[in-house]
Amino acid sequence: MEEQQKKPIICLRDIRKNFFIGTPNELKVLKGIDLTVYEGEFVAIVGQSGSGKSTLMNIIGALDRPTSGEYTLDDVDVIKAKDSELSGIRNKKIGFVFQTYNLISKTNALRNVEMPMLYAGMGRKERQKRAEELMELVGMGDRMKHLPEELSGGQKQRVAIARAMANDPAIILADEPTGALDSETGRLVMDIFHKLHKEQGKTIVLITHSPELAEETERLITLKDGEIVGERRGKA
Amino acid sequence: MTMLYENFRLALFSLKANKMRALLTMLGIIIGISSVIAIMTVGDSLSSTLTTTMEGFGANNIEVYLDYRPDYDGENYYEYDDLMTRDMIEELAKKFDGKIKAISVVCSLGDAQVTNGKKTAKVNVSGYTAGSFYLNNVKLVKGRFFKEVENSAASKVCIVSDKYVDTMFGGNKKEAIGSSVPLEINGKSYKFTIVGIYEYQDAFAGLGMSSGDNVRTNMYIPYKTAEVMSHDNYIFYFDFMAEQGIEQEQLIKEVDAFFEKNYYGNNERIYAHCYSMSSMLEEVQSMLSAVTLGISLIAGIALLVGGIGVMNIMLVSITERTREIGTRKALGAPNSSIRIQFIVESVVICVIGGIIGMILGCALGMTAAALLKCSVAPSIEGIIISITFSMAIGLFFGYYPANKAAKMDPIEALRYE
Repeated sequence: MEEQQKKPIICLRDIRKNFFIGTPNELKVLKGIDLTVYEGEFVAIVGQSGSGKSTLMNIIGALDRPTSGEYTLDDVDVIKAKDSELSGIRNKKIGFVFQTYNLISKTNALRNVEMPMLYAGMGRKERQKRAEELMELVGMGDRMKHLPEELSGGQKQRVAIARAMANDPAIILADEPTGALDSETGRLVMDIFHKLHKEQGKTIVLITHSPELAEETERLITLKDGEIVGERRGKA
Repeated sequence: MTMLYENFRLALFSLKANKMRALLTMLGIIIGISSVIAIMTVGDSLSSTLTTTMEGFGANNIEVYLDYRPDYDGENYYEYDDLMTRDMIEELAKKFDGKIKAISVVCSLGDAQVTNGKKTAKVNVSGYTAGSFYLNNVKLVKGRFFKEVENSAASKVCIVSDKYVDTMFGGNKKEAIGSSVPLEINGKSYKFTIVGIYEYQDAFAGLGMSSGDNVRTNMYIPYKTAEVMSHDNYIFYFDFMAEQGIEQEQLIKEVDAFFEKNYYGNNERIYAHCYSMSSMLEEVQSMLSAVTLGISLIAGIALLVGGIGVMNIMLVSITERTREIGTRKALGAPNSSIRIQFIVESVVICVIGGIIGMILGCALGMTAAALLKCSVAPSIEGIIISITFSMAIGLFFGYYPANKAAKMDPIEALRYE
């Protein structure tokens, strides 16, 4: 893997994020993060709560802007992007997987998967076909028309992963994807991430506080008090 | 286009999910729209009934009457020389041959009572010209109109109403024709022979009023006969009707000019002057529509309150769905499509409410109109206005909540519990 020069997908340079909680108090959440994630990498970001994980994820996910620093995602300068362009970046370059699944209720699984493609302006037939393929890929082919409330936690998360894959994004950003699942279904979900990584060569950034899950990835990045304090290879 | 369709579907979904709430939200719109429509339907029905009734009275007739000149401010009095005569009218008929279809001069002899044994009937005796029957839309059910010779000879013949026949002959029309009518007018006794029976038209029937059973009906006698009986051959007013295709306004000007040039040019007090029933009808109708509009405006307040209700519910709905909004934003929904989603939802609520209200209002208005015994006419403008209006309410009151949703911070929205 290392002998070949891989293309960087995520390039974070000296990312700082301060929150003003009334002057003169200024909360420094991120204190200069330098991080590069290469194409096809499976990276875990670990850290205690309050370490700045979530803030970092929001910045990587183009949901939030850093106070200062540089951020390039798949050759797109996210810092310079206008607000209206950020939604396009989230739509096409990033696939989110949340701890709480965040499926749209009262909308069946298939339509949930179709949603990012809808916002990308894809035609109805094409959208449906791709959504069906993705549902098969995550092993949910027999539950396409089910509503989220009719699915178990693990099933919901698999639908959410299919949804994250919808527009074939540059990265999949998973925030505690197994946090709300029991170890067995959590295992199932992790297996899907491994499958996507190995078979499709997806770049995956996993944010977790579980050391065991983090060990399964290629690279572990440890965050503490807004700084990267450790970086080592995982078992994968 | 796909986006709009999806939004439409989504709106219907969320309505189905909260049926009770959607219905309550719509209620304001339903009440507002239905009352506006009901009022407009009743107004339209009244107005169209009024038109038909007025046409029965002769809305197409033009009346020529004597009046004081607008610039005359002396004492008000008439002299015999001021009045119109038969000659003037004959001259007018000759001059405007082809422009005037019929002229009606009526010589009223007033009320009389006919007694035959125990039976009595109340009549109003008028001398009619041939044109009078035409202008006043008198329709015979039996017998005939007067012959020209009966007029010139001042014959004692008459035409009575079917009501009269009902009262005096128990409805036997055959027996009535040729029977005589004993009349007492101005202290003198006369005997008239019935030659025709006309259909009595209750002018107020259309307005839900009835004149009752023993009603005073018109008894028509030849004009000349009446003139002789009253010793009066002066005319205060008469009516005429324009030929088909003749411009009324223009004709009125010409007739005014005719009297001015030939008869009244030198009279500094009195002049003959045309007045058309249709202009009066227009006045009445515009008054009626002003009243309708006024009441509709009040009903519009209900609509406004309904709109505020929609806004309120949309705000609740958006708060409830904060996480959904956050998720959609994370999935790449631009602000504009979030905004459109909620605007469409509010428009759909309002339009559905508007349609229900329209149906309800039509039913209500038509029932009311039927109870008033008006001809029922659902208001087309009302329907168009209500649909457009409810859509506008949806847009207007949906915009603020939708915009609030569109501007939500995705991070906070995602974190919302």
